[in-house]
Amino acid sequence: MGSLAVRSAVLLLLLLALPLALGEYWAFQLGLFFLYAIAALGVALCWGQAGFLPLGQALFVGLAAYLSGAALIQWGEAWWVFLLLPFAAIAAGALAFLLGLIIFRGRSESGPYFAIITLAIALLAFQVANSWNAVTGGYNGMKAIPGLPGLEGFSDVYYLAAVALACAVALCGWLVQAPLGTLWRAIALNERRVAYFGYDTAMLKAIAFGLSGVLAGIAGALYAPQQGLVTPELVGFALSADLVIWVAVGGRKRVLGPVLGAVLVGILSAELRERTYYWDLIVAAVFVFVVLYAPGGIGALLAPLERLLPGRRKALEPLRAPASKAPRSAVTLAIDGVSAAAGEVRILDRLSLAVARPGIYCLIGPNGAGKTSTFNMLTGELRAQAGEVRLDGDILSKPTPYRLARRGVGRKFQIPSVFGELSIDENLRIAVWSARTSLLDWLRPATRRWDTPVMAALRGRYPFLDDGGRLASALSHGERQVLELSMALITEPRLLLLDEPCAGLSSEETAQVREVIRWARDTLGLSVVIIEHDMALVKQLAEHVFVLHQGRLLAEGDVAAIRSDPRVHEVYVGAAE
Amino acid sequence: MDPLLVTQALNVLYEVVTLAVIVLGLAIVFGLLGVMNLAHGEFIALGAYVAYVCQSHGLPYLAAVPAAIAACALLALPVERFLIRPLYDRPFDTLLATWGLSLFMRKAIEIGFGGGYKSLKIPVSDSVLVLGTPFPAYRLLLMALCAALIAALLLWYRRSVAGARVKAMVGNRELAQAVGIRTDRLARDTFVVGLCFAGLAGVMVAPLVSVQPYMGLDYVLRSFFVLVVGGLGSPLGLLSGAAAIGGVESAMSALVDRTAGYSTVLLIAIFFLWRRPHGIFGRS
Amino acid sequence: MNTWVFDFEDVTGGYGGSVVVRGLTGAVAAGQALCVLGRNGVGKSTLLRLLHGFLPLARGSVRFAGRDLAGLDPARRTALGVSFAPQERIVFDDLTVRENLTLMRPGHPLAALAPYFARFPRLAERLGQHAGTLSGGERKLLSLLRVLAEDRPVALLDEPSEGVQSESVRQMATLIGERKAAGAAFVIVEQNLELVEAVADRYLILDQGRTVQAGDRSTLRRAELVAHLRV
Repeated sequence: MGSLAVRSAVLLLLLLALPLALGEYWAFQLGLFFLYAIAALGVALCWGQAGFLPLGQALFVGLAAYLSGAALIQWGEAWWVFLLLPFAAIAAGALAFLLGLIIFRGRSESGPYFAIITLAIALLAFQVANSWNAVTGGYNGMKAIPGLPGLEGFSDVYYLAAVALACAVALCGWLVQAPLGTLWRAIALNERRVAYFGYDTAMLKAIAFGLSGVLAGIAGALYAPQQGLVTPELVGFALSADLVIWVAVGGRKRVLGPVLGAVLVGILSAELRERTYYWDLIVAAVFVFVVLYAPGGIGALLAPLERLLPGRRKALEPLRAPASKAPRSAVTLAIDGVSAAAGEVRILDRLSLAVARPGIYCLIGPNGAGKTSTFNMLTGELRAQAGEVRLDGDILSKPTPYRLARRGVGRKFQIPSVFGELSIDENLRIAVWSARTSLLDWLRPATRRWDTPVMAALRGRYPFLDDGGRLASALSHGERQVLELSMALITEPRLLLLDEPCAGLSSEETAQVREVIRWARDTLGLSVVIIEHDMALVKQLAEHVFVLHQGRLLAEGDVAAIRSDPRVHEVYVGAAE
Repeated sequence: MDPLLVTQALNVLYEVVTLAVIVLGLAIVFGLLGVMNLAHGEFIALGAYVAYVCQSHGLPYLAAVPAAIAACALLALPVERFLIRPLYDRPFDTLLATWGLSLFMRKAIEIGFGGGYKSLKIPVSDSVLVLGTPFPAYRLLLMALCAALIAALLLWYRRSVAGARVKAMVGNRELAQAVGIRTDRLARDTFVVGLCFAGLAGVMVAPLVSVQPYMGLDYVLRSFFVLVVGGLGSPLGLLSGAAAIGGVESAMSALVDRTAGYSTVLLIAIFFLWRRPHGIFGRS
Repeated sequence: MNTWVFDFEDVTGGYGGSVVVRGLTGAVAAGQALCVLGRNGVGKSTLLRLLHGFLPLARGSVRFAGRDLAGLDPARRTALGVSFAPQERIVFDDLTVRENLTLMRPGHPLAALAPYFARFPRLAERLGQHAGTLSGGERKLLSLLRVLAEDRPVALLDEPSEGVQSESVRQMATLIGERKAAGAAFVIVEQNLELVEAVADRYLILDQGRTVQAGDRSTLRRAELVAHLRV
């Protein structure tokens, strides 16, 4: 946090001194692009952190600008009009949050379709602004908006914009370092996996979108008094597009990237567009180049500079994390006559099996028997067409990964799906926070220091987990398998679904994983269901074996019973002679 | 029959059919290949400007057809190689890169031809009687041409081996390679053909619309909406999407005003993007 | 000595930089079948994908009729004369059964496939249906028929009998036997010992990505295989 405070202070001083050197015209221009930079910060929060691109951000700038303009026209003389401006920004933020929540709840993906939806909403808003003459002034816009009382001079608003920008940068810097920032970046990498840790990802994304709306709203609320005029153009496509270009070129992943982009590219454009036709061609070409080859933008060039700033990274004292909010009692699971199909092909065929008490259960069967599909059906990714599933005696209707995780069901995937671009520490934290955090915890830096006995024990078993700064993508395949298993165990589930936890591991690594699973069963009292092909491992681990074949339970029992069952033999190696 | 009604009906039909032909190129590039090409509109604009150049040089209007196809193909090849191919696994970046391309092309057209409107002479200026009501002959001709073009493409897609190979490649790229399809080339050819269709659409509608550098923006959005509403990858979807979007817009424009028409289209599009991204007939 | 129609040496590689199989060597002559065995996850499919160019070789070489296939993409290997039937996503779901069989040979008369259809009448009845509507076993049959219809000197088959009923597995074995008699060579990844015993001339057993046993028909022992498959 020290480096952040220093950075902000230096920036603020520079900003306040600038107009003295530049004169009124430039102060006015700079002030405008500072406002755009605030809005760009919001776009970067969504795109660079949470991984979804709002393509119609001008909507929120425009909404706040119209609100602020109307307030100023009405009560422009009174000093307390200052108190109304934040409401304009908050209104924009609230709209963004609600839109975000509705859209993300409706569909979980945040790819190109979300971008097009936001663009369409902005275009719709343009139609409204352009034609609702009574309120917005229609095509000609809302005119003769007075300046803020006491700040009528050209450079006065500059100072206000500079202070607002500094606050916005500080806020974004805070958020990026807070647990919330980690969760956003994790969502951008693998949203489904985050949901499997029990997070409401739609809500997390809506928070990001809402905050970006507030930032856009701050820009709009100050835009109205600065320019004295708000036209529908402000709501439309052009500004939305410019914001995205500035963020991309400036660098969407760094806090200062969008500011650089908005101020540098924005001001250069305003100046050079008049003088050379080719400027916009150059900007478009640079934009394409950045998309193709330099996703870090100009901001990436700042990385070496940032290291020069005084930043301290001393080890933080761990804090004991609060207890998980998920239930703790032993789990019971019953799958009863479940059928499921993908298209025309039947995957599960009246499958029934039950996990009645804690222990290690193995799920075996030839390829295509429906093992992974059973897991997918349990977590709601494959819809059951008939039959029912009971967890703790309650019928599970419409399960989702998020809701199941909240009830203490964890899952580890066949292909290790850790968050590659996050550090080992961040990966582990996401697991620790699962089912333990509230909104307030997501903002408090202290949450980053949480630790639990299970986490400490796993660190003791696997020393590489202590090398917290390493990126998960730099780990070997075996280490990634262990990291994901550790993350699943740290959430302290009651029921853990493991899909080939030892695939691709050496025999020593396999032995270690076997020990960890046994240790977890004993210390956490949990039920583990393991999909496994390695019969040697099944023999060592399983207390009970389910054999699946063609979507049905073919046989069950202990290992010895399964090995002597001729039906099992037949599905594996063909009929006996 | 009521002549006003006939005119209105013909107008709606005209809107729907021309919209379908505007979308055709994107239906191939996005609907089949899955490439979100935001520069689709600019290739339509390119076709329109080629038609303008041909006409202002006194060439017959038909000369614009091969010229536009050549221009689009020449541009599409490097675009596919350097913008699209490296991004096949990154749909998000494809969207952004083609959007950057669209900004570039728009500006380039503005620099080349100026920002103002260009109007083209209508190649066939007579009007003919339809059910006793006069209707511009070029519009009628255009409708027939569009319908023929769409029908030909659908037939090709349904019946030809190339259509089946494209379907195979899109459905299962690896198996397509295993059976011996050179998927890189096939994807490239499909992309180029899609953009040539965009250029061709530009030539066809140029005499009836205002040709200006920013015309593409409107076309590309509308095309996306048609495909989303109709559903991707199915010829029936293309037509039903065009009917829904074009029909609603021209009906609302006639009943209320253009703002209401466009706003309704946006609302429909937002709803489909949000709740039914697989279109009217699609299963969620 | 160069009588092999398809051979590979020291094949090493895997996904995304990781090494799944190491130093595998094998060869097959015209009219022969090489079966690759081992339990799930030992790298059998990876081997086939390396052989057909879907994955890059970290080390080693693959030759068809003595020609090194290095640098050729899967489509070109197929065009040269090596057919490939993958383990998963084995047919084109959106195409009809007929289109699946004739995609690369338009105008080829289906009548030439009559002997195959005689053995699998259910497919013949479904020529006009989309392959996506077939059951798992029917897809495997279609995938095999597609490869047999391609009529190339070499075919790489990944678990052709998976999910197929034993009666049909026997038919498969007969068909493969007939094609072998006509001079075709096969590399078959398989778990079904019945099929292996019926068609294999040579075999490799893999574990942890390495060859643990290799031999020919005379050394093929079911008990040993069962032990290696660890059932």
